[in-house]
Amino acid sequence: MMTTVTEQGRTLEKGFVGQSIPRKEDKRLVQGQGTFFDDVRRHGMGYVHFVRSPYAHAKIVSIDVSKALELEGVYGTITGDEVAIHTDPFFEMSVEPGGNIKDYALAVGRVRHMGEPVAAVCAATRELARDAAELIEVEYDELAVLVDAQEALKDEVVLHDDAGSNVVWSGVFDWGDVDAALAEADHVVKIDKLHFHRFSSTPLECAGALVEYDKGTGEWTLTCNHQMPGVGAIWMAPALRTGIDKLRFVTHDIGGGFGNKICLHPQYVVLCLMARKLGRPVQWTEWRTDQHTANAHGNERWFLDVEVGVMKDGTMTGFKVKALDDCGAFPRYEPLGCIIWAQVTPGMYGWRNIRVDFTQVCTNKSPVSPNRGYSRMQHLWLTERIIDIVAGELGLDPVEIRKKNYVKTEQMPYETPNGCVYDSGDYSAALDIALELIDAGSIEERRKDAAARGKLLGLGIGSTLDSGTNNFGQSTLLNPELQFSGNNEAASVKLDIFGEVVVTLGTVPQGQGHETTAAQVVADILGCSPDQVNVRRGHDTWFNSHAGFSGTYASQFAFTGLGAVKGAAELVRDEMIQLAAAVLQAPPEAIELSEGFARIKDGPPEAALPFMALGAIINANNAFLPPEFNPTLNHRYVCRPYFGMVDTEKKTGQLTLTYATQIHAAVVEIDPDTGEVDVVDYAAVDDCGVRINPQIVEGQVHGATAHALGAALHEDFVYDEDGTLLTANFYDYHVPHAMDMPPLKTGAMESPSPVAPLGAKGMGEGGGGGIHCICSAIQDALRPAGGAIVYDSCNPAHRVWSMLRNPESTRANVSVTSK
Amino acid sequence: MAEPVTSRTVSLEVNGEQLEYDVPTRRLLVHFLRDDLGLTGTHIGCDTGNCGACTVHVNGEAVKSCMLLAVQADGTKVSTVEGLAADGELTALQQAFNEHHALQCGYCTPGMLMSATALLARNPHPTEEDVRYALQGNICRCTGYVNIVDAVVATGGKG
Amino acid sequence: MLLREVEYARPATVEEAVAVLAAHEGARALAGGQTLINVMKQRAAAPEVLVDLADLDELREIGFSSDGMLEIGAMVTCAQLQGSSEVDVARPILAEVAGTIADVQVRNRGTIGGNVCVSDPTNHFPPLLVALDATFTIRGATGERTVSAGEFFLGVYMTAVGEGELLTKINVPASSGAGDGYAGLTIGAHGTYIVNSAATVTGDAARVAIGCVAASPVRATAMEERLAGGDYSETAVRASADGLGSSLDPPSDVHGSADFRRHLAEISAVRAVLQAAGRRR
Repeated sequence: MMTTVTEQGRTLEKGFVGQSIPRKEDKRLVQGQGTFFDDVRRHGMGYVHFVRSPYAHAKIVSIDVSKALELEGVYGTITGDEVAIHTDPFFEMSVEPGGNIKDYALAVGRVRHMGEPVAAVCAATRELARDAAELIEVEYDELAVLVDAQEALKDEVVLHDDAGSNVVWSGVFDWGDVDAALAEADHVVKIDKLHFHRFSSTPLECAGALVEYDKGTGEWTLTCNHQMPGVGAIWMAPALRTGIDKLRFVTHDIGGGFGNKICLHPQYVVLCLMARKLGRPVQWTEWRTDQHTANAHGNERWFLDVEVGVMKDGTMTGFKVKALDDCGAFPRYEPLGCIIWAQVTPGMYGWRNIRVDFTQVCTNKSPVSPNRGYSRMQHLWLTERIIDIVAGELGLDPVEIRKKNYVKTEQMPYETPNGCVYDSGDYSAALDIALELIDAGSIEERRKDAAARGKLLGLGIGSTLDSGTNNFGQSTLLNPELQFSGNNEAASVKLDIFGEVVVTLGTVPQGQGHETTAAQVVADILGCSPDQVNVRRGHDTWFNSHAGFSGTYASQFAFTGLGAVKGAAELVRDEMIQLAAAVLQAPPEAIELSEGFARIKDGPPEAALPFMALGAIINANNAFLPPEFNPTLNHRYVCRPYFGMVDTEKKTGQLTLTYATQIHAAVVEIDPDTGEVDVVDYAAVDDCGVRINPQIVEGQVHGATAHALGAALHEDFVYDEDGTLLTANFYDYHVPHAMDMPPLKTGAMESPSPVAPLGAKGMGEGGGGGIHCICSAIQDALRPAGGAIVYDSCNPAHRVWSMLRNPESTRANVSVTSK
Repeated sequence: MAEPVTSRTVSLEVNGEQLEYDVPTRRLLVHFLRDDLGLTGTHIGCDTGNCGACTVHVNGEAVKSCMLLAVQADGTKVSTVEGLAADGELTALQQAFNEHHALQCGYCTPGMLMSATALLARNPHPTEEDVRYALQGNICRCTGYVNIVDAVVATGGKG
Repeated sequence: MLLREVEYARPATVEEAVAVLAAHEGARALAGGQTLINVMKQRAAAPEVLVDLADLDELREIGFSSDGMLEIGAMVTCAQLQGSSEVDVARPILAEVAGTIADVQVRNRGTIGGNVCVSDPTNHFPPLLVALDATFTIRGATGERTVSAGEFFLGVYMTAVGEGELLTKINVPASSGAGDGYAGLTIGAHGTYIVNSAATVTGDAARVAIGCVAASPVRATAMEERLAGGDYSETAVRASADGLGSSLDPPSDVHGSADFRRHLAEISAVRAVLQAAGRRR
């Protein structure tokens, strides 16, 4: 039985919070003085290159490293056999059969995707490591390749003998009574097949680490770019048969993460073994081709046999779907994807009867990891496809049907059929802003104008949610044995002897401006300026300012990260006030912190202590303080959001705490002769509650939009039947460049979150609104040219052309039964 | 010198400083700058010459240093991002990047600055279209380019 | 991302360059490096000797031959083409197309000679130079010879430039009233072509070349025959392309099926011809 927390979160009075202060991070970054892990050198270090499988599925017959070891300058190698001896398999999240998979840091006996690391070689220079890798001889016996999720279900080619099946996990989520809803509906719309494609955010900096091993203490230091070290350590420590504290993660500047730097533990374990074996620091930088081929893709998901119940007046009453998720060769973090979509089960809509039959399978493709929008984006795409297809088939206006079915602002906080609580938002109002920004009123005129130029014009809407602050208890819906629940983040704030304010974060920023926003929050609480607040760069587990779930992911920094900062700052503030009260001999209520001073409110100017005085007293001149009064001016705080427990039987619970709204609208022009889609107008409206730094929020909206546009029109990880990735570099995997971006307008609303410490919701992921709205716009544009129905989330020219040439095959996918 | 060799002494100017260095002929300019000279501001983001994170100036022209051998830079003037701010005094462009929030993770930023600086040198008042054309060879995955373009146009707009 | 060991030579004259190329089997000329260096980074090719043409100033000139042809040195970069008043006067389509290749950085280094010698079916210049009826001058140990565009491109990564030889210049007829057009579909703005087409139209004749559909550029001869006569109305041009697609056997890949490329070939050819016809003077 779960309880919902409804107490109002306090919103800080806006001082620096709410201002678009230029970032503190920029000064070093614009001068090329950022420290990214590959910039770091150690005396005597070696460079590592991974030998990777050229086959998607094969037995490893033999590995011969002898020729490599003969090359001068080569320090050593590691192979799968050694990994199997010196480490234990990584812990698996899922229940059987997926839970029986054995996943090691290098391929042991068998390779299961092209590019899977098979051996590692370390040498004095990068070039030598690369040369030596060519001398390592690996013999393979090819096995049949599996690249289709639906084929995987047949279990004819099984990737993991220990599991005995390609199914990682499967379960049925059933809330309300969807069969009754469908029976009672005036219309039932059936959609046979929708496909959300494989792509990823491809951060510009590739993964990597510089690893040092201290023989005396058995400690490893990883100078790296892992964006979720807490989880990384949980995987690595047991595998290395060591304690968590023996793994020190140090990050400095990170060149983008977007979820693609969460599952780096296999390569990092190899580096740990190598550093220990060779007795020297070792470094590995991932190549771009390897990032595309073998790091992490976003979830690929099929939505099959969708049925939607709709009443005469356009109210959608419920839907059911079979979801088939393709997690690639190793599930790793991915089984959580089987559950996490349930944070947004009904999307933005009020239907109460939903059944999702979810299965996740392995295939011989790159493993999947929580790419930006992780699992919720796929599900929200489904709900947006549904509403557009329903609107199209029943002749209903896409704007009106959305507004009719949206959860209304007066219903907030709104409990969804599975117990999640949408905290705040006004979807209709946000939609209106988006439509206004692209001048939706003039669409029909623009359509005629485009037609005169031989182009097909379409307007699309993509409404989406960015659910933030994960309840790890949702993992028990995946596997009731897992001992995870809740969430946490830590931070510490201290006042140094000279009055400097120093903040240490548990998060791992990769460009989100945490140093700046944390400084804004602290400045407001302590009554100084953000310039006086020094936020240490990056994450270091030795600072002990991290908690079990520390990292930057799941759109939660504004809640948990800043919540921790706020908590620590308030503890320091309270002590500063008490200390000043004792020194100035006034009651604490009479003391205020302002402009870098602690002073008596409305008191004489001399009744003021600079922060330096307070710092000096505590650290160097404290004898006069009474024994029972022991302020430290140095506090660590753990923000622990409250979720209540999850019900594993009904599969209900508060799976997340905040819901930022993003509504996107686009106008596209399609060249009917080539299928090329030109985005001619675009608007994105974001509502993430209180915006700590509006410019930073807007920057995230821009970035999420660019990712979504790239995915919607070009970015696709496509495999051939041999399991070869056909889009392994930036020529074939085209990401948006400056000339690809449409004119982008943004709007913002602030519906403060009643549950977040600062009223601010996480919003960094975005929810893929761009993908939803481009699909919507294309479908609208194609209406007068055959009325094809968009069935895939990626629509490059060749697909659009096919839809123009053969719209019937897409329409055959959809049927309506009406009473 | 027509006799093939596997290493060569290069003589070049880097950020105003004259240098002589022995390099293997196979070493890329970007690795020479980063690993041999310790100028780690120039970054590597891909392995097929698409992303532009490695952009530097050679004889005043923006080029991708991952597609040049260090030996090809013999006798040239090379400028990197470290050479922009003289004595820590940020250029107008660097300041504009800060004001307009034109960077998030900062990884593409050095390359962007070098491309934009080269643009402003030949076209001091570029239009938005000019800027996008000039930055087409620099991939950013964080910003969507919106604020970057604004920052460059704004820099051109001043004076 | 890291090259194999390679020997490097930097000749001072074309004669020296040809001599080094001839003396070492597996020697490759290094022009702008915008393709070759990448290929070597991937270790897809590993020439034993790189012959850097950087010091060969005679290959960097743009001028006119005695018979009025535009003469472009093989080492002329895309950026140079864009900035050349000779090109602007004589055959501006060269600068226009050069300006759509990749980006500024690539254009600052990438050369027209490199672009044609790579003979990648998706490259920009091959179909253009075929349509323009360019000629290619090749120097070897035994002297110089000139080859027509039709004979220059032999296949994927294969041209008439043999071992021990060097392309020195490309001659393009001055337009003299002809109109030039170029059309196609790329992967993103200024990206790689999926299909491209170049056309040159005079009062009574058209030359149309299509790229990306075969190992080397294909002349749309049937289309050209139908267009001989001078009717360049949209209807006539569309009709002239009938059957072009089915005469081709293009590859299928992740960016398009063979059928899509057949279709794009017709569309691009029509658009290139219409653009060319509209630019006649």
